[in-house]
Amino acid sequence: MSHLLDVDHLTTRIRTSRGVVRAVQDVSFHLEAGETLGLVGESGCGKSMTGLSLMGLLPPGGTLMDGSSVRLDGRELVGLPEREMTRVRGNDIAMVFQDPMTSLDPTKTIGHQVAEPVLLHRGCSRAEAAERAADVLGMVGLPHPRERMSDYPHQLSGGLRQRVLIAMALANEPRVLIADEPTTALDVTIQAQILALLADLRARLGMAMILITHDMGVTAGHADRVNVMYAGRIAESAGTDRLFHGMRHPYTQSLLASVPRLTQDPEVPLATIPGLPPDLTEPASGCRFAARCPYVTDACRAQEPELTGPDEHRYACVHPTDGPRLPGTGPLAALPRTAAKPSENGAPGANATARPLLEARGLVREFPLRGGRVPGVGRRVVHAVSGVSFTLGEGETFGLVGESGCGKTTLGRLLVGLDRPDAGTVTLDGTDLGHLRGRELRCRRRDFQMVFQDPFSSLDPRMRVGAILREPLRIQGIGTTREQKDRVAELLAEVGLPERGADLFPHEFSGGQRQRVGLARALALTPRLIVADEPVSALDVSVRAQVLNLMKRLQASRGLSYVVISHDLAVVRYLADRIGVMYLGRLVEIGSADDIHLRAAHPYTAGLLEAVPVPDPEAERAKHGAAVTGELPSPVAPPSGCGFRTRCPLATRRCAEEQPALRSFGPAHAAACHFPLREPAPEKSAAPTPA
Amino acid sequence: MTTYLLRRVGQAIVVIIGVMIVTFALIHLEPGSAARATLGIRANSERIAVFNAANGLNRPLAAQFATFVKQAAEGNFGTSYSMHQPVSTLITQRLPRDAVLLGLSTLVALAIALPMGIYQAVRRGRAQDHAFTVVSFVLYSMPDFFFALLLIAVFSVQFHLLPSQAPQAQSVGGILSDPRGLVLPVVTLSLVSVAGFSRYMRSSAIGTLAQDYILVARAKGLPNRLVLRRHVLRNSLLPVITVLGLQAPAIVTGAVIAESVFNYPGMGLLFYQAATSKDYPVLLGSTLVVGVATVVGSLLADIAYSLLDPRIRYDHS
Amino acid sequence: MTTHDTGPVTAGPPQPGPPEGGAPASGRGAGRLSLAAFLHNRRALAGLAIVVLVAGFCFIGPLFYHTDQVTVHLELAELAPGAGHPLGTDASGYDVLGRLMAGGRSSLELGFAVALATTVIGTLYGAFAGYFGGFVDAVMMRVIDTFLAIPGLVLLLIVVSMFTPSLWKIIVLLSLLSWLTAARLVRGEVLTLRSREFVQAARMMGSTGRRVVVRHLVPNAAGVIIVSATFTVADSILMLSTLSFLGLGLPPPHADWGTMLTRGLDYLYDGYWWLVYPPAAILIVTVVAFNLIGDAVHDALDVRLQRP
Repeated sequence: MSHLLDVDHLTTRIRTSRGVVRAVQDVSFHLEAGETLGLVGESGCGKSMTGLSLMGLLPPGGTLMDGSSVRLDGRELVGLPEREMTRVRGNDIAMVFQDPMTSLDPTKTIGHQVAEPVLLHRGCSRAEAAERAADVLGMVGLPHPRERMSDYPHQLSGGLRQRVLIAMALANEPRVLIADEPTTALDVTIQAQILALLADLRARLGMAMILITHDMGVTAGHADRVNVMYAGRIAESAGTDRLFHGMRHPYTQSLLASVPRLTQDPEVPLATIPGLPPDLTEPASGCRFAARCPYVTDACRAQEPELTGPDEHRYACVHPTDGPRLPGTGPLAALPRTAAKPSENGAPGANATARPLLEARGLVREFPLRGGRVPGVGRRVVHAVSGVSFTLGEGETFGLVGESGCGKTTLGRLLVGLDRPDAGTVTLDGTDLGHLRGRELRCRRRDFQMVFQDPFSSLDPRMRVGAILREPLRIQGIGTTREQKDRVAELLAEVGLPERGADLFPHEFSGGQRQRVGLARALALTPRLIVADEPVSALDVSVRAQVLNLMKRLQASRGLSYVVISHDLAVVRYLADRIGVMYLGRLVEIGSADDIHLRAAHPYTAGLLEAVPVPDPEAERAKHGAAVTGELPSPVAPPSGCGFRTRCPLATRRCAEEQPALRSFGPAHAAACHFPLREPAPEKSAAPTPA
Repeated sequence: MTTYLLRRVGQAIVVIIGVMIVTFALIHLEPGSAARATLGIRANSERIAVFNAANGLNRPLAAQFATFVKQAAEGNFGTSYSMHQPVSTLITQRLPRDAVLLGLSTLVALAIALPMGIYQAVRRGRAQDHAFTVVSFVLYSMPDFFFALLLIAVFSVQFHLLPSQAPQAQSVGGILSDPRGLVLPVVTLSLVSVAGFSRYMRSSAIGTLAQDYILVARAKGLPNRLVLRRHVLRNSLLPVITVLGLQAPAIVTGAVIAESVFNYPGMGLLFYQAATSKDYPVLLGSTLVVGVATVVGSLLADIAYSLLDPRIRYDHS
Repeated sequence: MTTHDTGPVTAGPPQPGPPEGGAPASGRGAGRLSLAAFLHNRRALAGLAIVVLVAGFCFIGPLFYHTDQVTVHLELAELAPGAGHPLGTDASGYDVLGRLMAGGRSSLELGFAVALATTVIGTLYGAFAGYFGGFVDAVMMRVIDTFLAIPGLVLLLIVVSMFTPSLWKIIVLLSLLSWLTAARLVRGEVLTLRSREFVQAARMMGSTGRRVVVRHLVPNAAGVIIVSATFTVADSILMLSTLSFLGLGLPPPHADWGTMLTRGLDYLYDGYWWLVYPPAAILIVTVVAFNLIGDAVHDALDVRLQRP
């Protein structure tokens, strides 16, 4: 039986200085025209390498092992001479890559780059190729394609660049499109637009698509069938509904359970997968997931299970489970449940009646553009933060959500005094940070700390972890050397790292472990407030859940207050008591976590929530197109009136003329919109901070 | 882009003023040295005082500097002590000859180094890469004068293939009409800079080859040859242009050696003769000219870069 | 790895048992990543071996091979290699092999001294400019641009023509010229490092600017500093030989490879090969060796050039 694409026993190895990496091991699957196959897994599981192997684009040192077979319409591609293979690439099989910012040649116009594969494969004239390029650019939704053909990549936003990349891949109407994390680098509203575009084009052109992603939500919404990959192998393969509702492999089960959801009960801890994926340079003995599997037995370690079962549902497991793990059931539930946090005993915002720990009032931060003096206009500035106010009570968590460029990171830096506001004040426990200078400010820093996004750049690579954790104590002159060392040991234990970790360098830890070190460093001075900027966005799903749980546990045991900054609404939902939604430097809506998620008043909040992919096939299918259209306007020249009006379905002339003020929609719930989705509370307007 | 260029030109002007201050200060490092150099070491203090007064060397330094700047702006650098000609004449005679020699050798160097660097990047870590690496390091590590004399020993003395003396003609046309005489000086000057350029091109190309857009180009079905020509070459060249600007002083250093070995009547030789005879007006004038040329050179390189890189050319911010 | 499970949200101290974060993945230790990459590089090892051999030849050799490098013996001049003088003698009757050792000492001492001085000045200047940035940085960089605009040899010629050269004067002069590039490199590196999150983290702890520079920026720029120092050794040895050729080198009886080579070149056509090729070979091999080391360190540090 022949399919459009048949992949059999695909095995890829890469020779590196560390040894031979078994990147893809015995992967077999098939694909029909018009079908979308999802390849899901965490980083390093071999899903991208599978895509590159199909294209014959292995990195230096990479080889396909004997027995590997890739047949397109019955024609064997493995072993094809390079000349022949170049005719297949970009013509029969095309690929879209992850990062639109780096995937376009910066020195060539986009018209040229889209026309290039047409010229190459169709043997047509330059004019015809350019004509075709314009058509395809129009098809992928680039506004005014003909005028923009002569633009260079840096003149386009990330979302538009991804459209150009898709146009490039589709220029020759390939039969198979491999989309490798096509939306991972994009904001959630743009992600929804791009995914809808891909689905639409696939249907219109009758292509087959391989959708490579780490995101269970994206898979749920856009794949017909799913291959779950783990450590270079397919762990489970089934139709999407079946996989999400009747998975048999414990890895699939754990992966799905560890995804934080919008509907998550924040009181119930996230399921996690302990430990780390195996090192692929070492040959496997037994099931590769055994070391992290809750159902493991000796049989699992004895022999590697084969991928078995009928074609509709295959899995490689000795002790298959049946269906998803329900919250509160399964082996994880056997562990001791949480003692509820003291701060969570009361209603959300109960502490707000006491004096707030942190108060931000009217914060404004503008960055002058370099060389931005334009005659007649004056100095142009980026309006990063424009008048943000909120308060945070002791033991509370405030979540800041928004897309990239909305000013949330700048706001975070203002809160901890890494940057000074142009206007407005930050008051911490009654002290105005703006009045602190030099030594006073340095001393006061022990009360508020920051956890950074990138665990690879936030730890000094030349210092041992012990020295990194001691540094804050030494700077602040706390304790003797002996006491400091004891403190380091305590901190390591507290964040779940072994004591010998103190003698190691950061590069010897995994990303999740480094983020634990980052947390421990922030805790060293026993601060009262921690601002965490995207604390888990660099981490894989399973590790992300571990770190999120740790953050909650630390908050409970130490009575910490958090400001959590994230683009991921589910993460914020899990951690935060109250949430602020930012758009173009302003808080457009603020309220309790439930207010935001269940009773959103601002169309942007609603659109943002709608755009988040949920790991549930039915829910995803029920969505119609992208919830928020268009691109983020430039923060240099934000739209007049309401910043969101250019993308808002409800916008009228009034929105352009008058900037909406925050209005109250209930206790501690406010939104800035002329045409809110809910009835505002009776009073005319309310301060964002309930006094 | 205009704001970028304006800022860059502003910087260049500041640096040129800096160069003037430094050259001026250098000459005045040792008071009376000019007089002693001209009048001989046995000159008594009386004669020195007369010389200083005649040449305005007894005025306050600030006043002397002001005169120097004013005259330099008019192209007047005084008269050579040893050659008894206006310095500006000496310099204007020689500058075009240097343009020929240095321009030719830089072109030759680039023509060899750029393909070599890309080839090494593609063959990275293999035998060919190592071989070229060793060759370029040996070339780089050879003292210029030794290399030049070795060439003369082999090609002029041993086999009588090429003259050991560079063309002596006054005009550029005259020099170019004797291409055989130019071969050895050009080879000397270019092979030494091949090493630097090719190393830089190699690491630039290795960086480009690792970019996502190269993978995308291959995924489009472009054969390797076209990937290199259309996408690798231009992107790897961009950073090399800036290096070219920074190389100017090194090229001048090479010129001093090559011109004295091959007796090529250019700025390098003039400078060397002035240094050995302590001809301060010539030293001052030619240092200033070379310094300004260097600053202008790297400014031009930056302008070329900004024209070739659309990220700067179309920078609206 | 064990099968322990991750504790979910639990209040209070963590339970005994294996740490939930898991054990660190590898035993590859102590920041040796760059060192390992360096040692894997055969070119680097070859360079290092040559430098050690040459240094041994110059500094330990004279202990076993005694020659008179002070008194002129015209009766022994220009002897061809043979018994007693494995590499012959020069025009002053000095034993060439012994003179190579003595000359190597000056060349190497000069190279290392210049590299050391350059590194110290360049690092301080570059780190200061890079850390403070803004106007301070702009002024400091224009100063560097100014000196870089005047070719080094030109500056040297002017200065050397005024003073009688000595090893120490030349060391000082070469250092004054070479620190410019080092400072630029360090400044560039510090500018990149300054925006890294660990520097912000240090500021968050209340660290002073001085501490950030000393504890974080300079150690992390160490790689670049080492590379520049290695290249400086090579360049200084070459520059000294060029000065010798221009007649502005060390006066006799001082020996250095450049002077030997320059004098020997006068006899290039007279068949006295031992006066030319031995000093040329050892000079070139030594300079190549330093360049190989510098290049390898550069490669080992450049993540961009790292293999997957």
